[in-house]
Amino acid sequence: MEAPPVTMMPVTGGTINMMEYLLQGSVLDHSLESLIHRLRGLCDNMEPETFVDHEMVFLLKGQQASPFVLRARRSLDRTGAPWHLRYLGQPEMGDKNRHALVRNCVDIATSENLTDFLMEMGFRMDHEFVARGHLFRKGIMKIVVYKVFRILVPGNTENTEALSLSYLVELSVVAPAGQDVVSDDMRNFAEQLKPLVHLEKIDPKRLM
Amino acid sequence: MGVTCVSQMPVAEGKSVQQTVELLTRKLEMLGAEKQGTFCVDCETYHTAASTLGSQGQAGKLMYVMHNSEYPLSCFALFENGPCLVADTNFDVLMVKLKGFFQSAKASKIETRGTRYQYCDFLVKVGTVTMGPSARGISVEVEYGPCVVASDCWSLLLEFLQSFLGSHTPGAPAVFGSRHDAVYSPADTMVQYMELFNKIRKQQQVIETRKPNQ
Repeated sequence: MEAPPVTMMPVTGGTINMMEYLLQGSVLDHSLESLIHRLRGLCDNMEPETFVDHEMVFLLKGQQASPFVLRARRSLDRTGAPWHLRYLGQPEMGDKNRHALVRNCVDIATSENLTDFLMEMGFRMDHEFVARGHLFRKGIMKIVVYKVFRILVPGNTENTEALSLSYLVELSVVAPAGQDVVSDDMRNFAEQLKPLVHLEKIDPKRLM
Repeated sequence: MGVTCVSQMPVAEGKSVQQTVELLTRKLEMLGAEKQGTFCVDCETYHTAASTLGSQGQAGKLMYVMHNSEYPLSCFALFENGPCLVADTNFDVLMVKLKGFFQSAKASKIETRGTRYQYCDFLVKVGTVTMGPSARGISVEVEYGPCVVASDCWSLLLEFLQSFLGSHTPGAPAVFGSRHDAVYSPADTMVQYMELFNKIRKQQQVIETRKPNQ
């Protein structure tokens, strides 16, 4: 059972509902350099940041039709960084004029025994992958360009193979519920990346 | 955090919980301890909802979600004899989302509140344990700041405990026993509080079943 749908209400039960606004696109490997070059020019001035993350997706099956999904992510190249647990709700349907995909999100930093704890709660790992790429920021917008690697032997993050010959590009903002002006800013930024990459609102349900 | 021992102080003969707490705090003040604000440790219990049990084929487990005012930005989640997760306060928001799978046993929310005393390198917290409106017992937490390895300072802690708890001094906490030279962490303190709260919950049940016989 998914949590009750989060509407435009910014506060539920004393805590602020945070929403993730998302636009996605992709580029072929050979176009990566030109995209990175343009992003470096458009985004905030900072040292180029690369990352290697290992993400595991856990499911909790109940009697309800859809299982509860949680994503556990850890850094493979930064020792000492906390594990990141993320819950993403169903995409909000509604305003067709809204330019980005909007869904409720809860981000939690945790200690390293996260996977043991999730198993104890009854979650089971559905799949895992390694993401390797670059991170950029522009104000509150986060732009990630990364490649997804399939893990060949469960638990072994050394032995991986690339899933495709392209890089996934994601433009996202995490903001309190009700701030739709954020999606306009995102659309304007996405315009500047054309024609190198076309960032769109992609509804995950249409892919299945 | 330094090595910490959490124990229960039995209520003195013929006195109320509040009076016993006052006796203890007066002893501490006479020793020379300085009052330094208040503290609160609370614990909520969740159990796996019946709907999830069927598909998993395992007995329902109890999960405790605890908070400690000493670490205001953290949330501790633990299973008895299981792992203790240290997370930030958004974990509480996640538990709201998991309402369908984990039900909160509202009636069993238990907490301890009281005063913090600093005495040289020791931090002593004497609290009244309450469940709802009723006081159920007294918790005493003593932390020895400078040391993080339990086996290195247990005898010193014991000596200090004896100086103001006298005959009510506890034995070495179970969390010390399992890993001798491991670095002590706040999660170990939360495990001790969970054990204390469970003990107090059971004690009250014993008293309640005796009443009809009187």
